[in-house]
Amino acid sequence: MENHLLELRSVDVSYGDAQAVGNFSFYIDKGKIITLVGANGAGKSTILNAISKIIPTSSGEIFFSGMSTAGLKPEDIVKLGICQVPEGRHLFTKLTVLENLELGAYPVHTRPFMKDSIEKAFTLFPILKERINQSSGTLSGGEQQMLAIARALMARPKLLMLDEPSLGLAPKVVSLLFKTIKKLNNDGVTILLVEQNVHQAMEIADYAYVLQTGTCKMDGHCHDLLKNSDFKNTILGIRE
Amino acid sequence: MLRLNQMKVHTKYIAGLIVVIFFVLCPLFLNSERSYFIYFLYTTFIYITIAQGWNLIAGYTGQVSLGQHAFFGLGAYITAITWRAGLTGYFDPLAFLLSGTGALLLAAIVGVVLLSKLRDDYFSLGTLGIGEILRVAALNGGSFTEGAAGISLNSTAYKSMNHYYYTALFIMLFTLVVIVLLIRSRVGLALIAIREDETAASANGIPVLRYKILAFSIGAFVTGLCGSLNAYYIFHVHPPGVLSLNWVVIPVLMCILGGAGTFMGPILGAFVLSIAFELTSIWMPEIHPIFSGAFIVLVTLFMPSGIMYYITNHKSMIMRRLRLTVFKWMNQKA
Repeated sequence: MENHLLELRSVDVSYGDAQAVGNFSFYIDKGKIITLVGANGAGKSTILNAISKIIPTSSGEIFFSGMSTAGLKPEDIVKLGICQVPEGRHLFTKLTVLENLELGAYPVHTRPFMKDSIEKAFTLFPILKERINQSSGTLSGGEQQMLAIARALMARPKLLMLDEPSLGLAPKVVSLLFKTIKKLNNDGVTILLVEQNVHQAMEIADYAYVLQTGTCKMDGHCHDLLKNSDFKNTILGIRE
Repeated sequence: MLRLNQMKVHTKYIAGLIVVIFFVLCPLFLNSERSYFIYFLYTTFIYITIAQGWNLIAGYTGQVSLGQHAFFGLGAYITAITWRAGLTGYFDPLAFLLSGTGALLLAAIVGVVLLSKLRDDYFSLGTLGIGEILRVAALNGGSFTEGAAGISLNSTAYKSMNHYYYTALFIMLFTLVVIVLLIRSRVGLALIAIREDETAASANGIPVLRYKILAFSIGAFVTGLCGSLNAYYIFHVHPPGVLSLNWVVIPVLMCILGGAGTFMGPILGAFVLSIAFELTSIWMPEIHPIFSGAFIVLVTLFMPSGIMYYITNHKSMIMRRLRLTVFKWMNQKA
């Protein structure tokens, strides 16, 4: 068995009769940032949800640290060390910032580290400390995204999956966010990033998979892909 | 700041304790066999218990169950059948335990099926079916449930209204304590998280299904206890009585009126609605249901999230007016 942190082998996911993802294979090695890019409906979020077991796969296998995750529930996946920041942030809007963070440390093995993790989250996102007792629905978009990431980090993940973190944020906030993601990666968290903001994502990622209508169109190192004329043409919309 | 909060909690406990002592002492000053007030409190305690049970699954966890009457009816039938068979006696703790546990098991079994497969309105419809299934089963149960006529129990066993009053009080206090402990714990936070956003809750490692079933089962347990007490009170258990939709509709209304998802909401709602129902049935018996309906419409129009939310959102305004009224009243006296 090769030592990939996460590996998907010919995974299929369907919503009813409609196939969202077909025969998708990929892997992530420890300490890397991998990005999945592609247009709307390409199946990027579906893949993340399938890894988290929020939706079932119809065939194929998923391995984490060489172990099959077949038959596990979403809460087991979090225990294994995979954490997802869902698209649209999905905060508990009526609960306070602190309560949101506490809920992030729900799995039993993470509870002893809760205080420590909260401190860490506040050093990473100082603005959250100022908002500690504010209900999270009243935060700005950028602050909410920071809280969503901080909450996911409370579970001390080995693999952090981010689904469209830049959605609806001002460009300045987006670049700050991507800097933080890179910083997290330097601290040792492996990151799987799903983005429509291709340029920014490719800048911080090591390797990219390009999805189109549920299948992998091409993949490669980011700096290679950015030079590839086919990639530029289909994804970035640049004609030469 | 912290001291102020602690003081507030302290006063809350003391206020609660005073009210409980008042309830405990009530039968000593009133003739409980004749007193209308004792009867009124007895029914209100039962409604508070059922409403709190519903509050746990619907108000806190966000899963709107319309099957509480099934648990109530099952509790009543278990008590009646075991008493008839001689397995339990009159006011037997074992009968209460069996009734509560029966309802709990039904909720757990039904919960595994419904809560894992159905969401939102579909879950509500599914739970509505449980009561209907039980009702049809009771009607066709032959000599076991004695069909439409129902099971008549030995009413000569009746001793005193005080038994009923204190048992209802005890069941209600038990329920309130369980709910407070649950809501203050991590479990409570998880239940609210499930209500707020199920996807996010499961993405954060909260075992969503397990917690939903837990909340549903605890609510069913206390509802089953009420059913058991009702069987002893009426001495007659039949489908239109104990499996009536009233046992779900009225507590749900009370809970919504008071404020679902708050601790004080169902208590306040139960008292307000009970008083409103009783007063209208005294003053205008002919149109009592119409007035009660209109009352509910008015409250949902002007306080859509319940009395408790209105109070917490208008605290300063209410306090100011209260102070003003007291001030005026004192001036008039002087």
